Amino acid sequence: MSKLAIEHLGKTYADGTEALRDVSVRADDGEILAILGGSGCGKTTLLRLMAGLDEASGGAISVEGARISGTHAAISAVFQEPRLLPWLSVAQNIAFGAQRLSATERRDRTEGLLDRVGLGGYGGRWPKDLSGGQQQRVAIARALIGHPGILLLDEPFSALDPFTRASLHELLLGLWQELRPTILMVTHDVDEAVFLADRIVVMRPKPGRVHETISVNLPRPRDRISPVFDTVKRRIMHAIDRSLGEQGRVGLRPAAGGHSPWW
Amino acid sequence: MRAGAGRAWLVGLIVPVSLAIAWETGVRLGVVPGRLMPPPSALWHSALGLARSGELQDHVLATLSRIGIGFAIGALAGTMFGLLTGASDLARLLLDPTIQGIRAIPSLAWVPLFILWLGIFETSKLALVALGVFFPVYLGVFSAIQGVDRKLVEVGRVFGLSRREIVWRITLPAIMPVWIASLRSGLGLGFMFVIAAELMGASEGLGFLLLDGQQMGRADSILVAMITFALLGKLADGIMVAIARPLLCWQDTVRERL
Repeated sequence: MSKLAIEHLGKTYADGTEALRDVSVRADDGEILAILGGSGCGKTTLLRLMAGLDEASGGAISVEGARISGTHAAISAVFQEPRLLPWLSVAQNIAFGAQRLSATERRDRTEGLLDRVGLGGYGGRWPKDLSGGQQQRVAIARALIGHPGILLLDEPFSALDPFTRASLHELLLGLWQELRPTILMVTHDVDEAVFLADRIVVMRPKPGRVHETISVNLPRPRDRISPVFDTVKRRIMHAIDRSLGEQGRVGLRPAAGGHSPWW
Repeated sequence: MRAGAGRAWLVGLIVPVSLAIAWETGVRLGVVPGRLMPPPSALWHSALGLARSGELQDHVLATLSRIGIGFAIGALAGTMFGLLTGASDLARLLLDPTIQGIRAIPSLAWVPLFILWLGIFETSKLALVALGVFFPVYLGVFSAIQGVDRKLVEVGRVFGLSRREIVWRITLPAIMPVWIASLRSGLGLGFMFVIAAELMGASEGLGFLLLDGQQMGRADSILVAMITFALLGKLADGIMVAIARPLLCWQDTVRERL
């Protein structure tokens, strides 16, 4: 039985836009799944349906075999923006993620997580006093304080500079190794997907569908500049290329060194 | 200006102080008539006289209690109705058009009706002040609730807050800055309306002092009343800001709203 099962999920918005069609994805306990695709693939829609923030037009989502609707205690999320509550201190923001815990438990975990995400001593500050990367660290701590079975990530690092992003990748993997949640992460960054994920689901646009699922069989810690890493990246890029069909074979051929040319 | 930031406010005194000196000099030299335009020294004397006899304090107290009670009623009602129409679609459809319609009536147009209904004494005055305070507070709360960031509400939903908890822990803190700003403009209007109410007929209050000064031809007591109003208004606003500041220190704005 899968930890998380998405079956034949579809979403058509009130204005008639079909964002998702017949999407089926399964994730095992403790697996990291990256959902990769360009804009218009319905990645974010898919995540919002899982988080219970929107209602599916068809299909089902199950956690450990039980169908869910709406938000679920075992599912937590980190959004594209940190979305901290500006009127709560950093520590209070982290504690906000643990509504069901006792006060002492909540305090202990908050203290532990503050240190763990490298913000020890910042607990009394306001969110406005933190940098973007620090705010996203707080958001990750908030999402994990309740020890969720499933963690959803919606392009959480896309607004950060490459250095901050790399350090947050390490942080996320470290926390994942401790707590072992199943992670579903939406991203448009191939490098990020290959670095983090066990499997990568490549989506195809208009309407959003699953194009191909690729396993990343690389041992951790992964070396971003190793040739095998590059090989996997190429496979993913080819899959994206194919997913775009006739419309968009532009600029996706990886240049030497595995980086896309700047144009 | 950084080094002198503590004394920067002194710059603001240059214009009024020079004007006062020019005025005083003009009267002393006989260039301007002192009876209709009493100089600062005369104002000081009549203020002192009014204060010694206890009259000024009585007027201030009467006016302040009218503003205090009227403001409390208007602010409470404005907040309650604003919360109601802001949070509930049904209440908005049902009540907001009526309230907006009533708002279109200039508040002073209510004066004759209030006097007819509530009499010439305190009740009609309080009603007028409350009415003046009600609208800015109502509008502020109503639009603030409409403007609460959907993204923060979603955070509450993801972390398992009930609807009621979302209101308490997300909606209310989020509208706090706008609510306090609307209370401040409500207070300003309260001061305006209390004068209107006291000019209609009162036996005490700063508005009475204004009217009495006009009828007695005493420009000095008019000006004393006006200056007292200015000081009281500034003081009341300052107290409100001081109370609100610790509640809003989390705000991330270039200039604080306060």
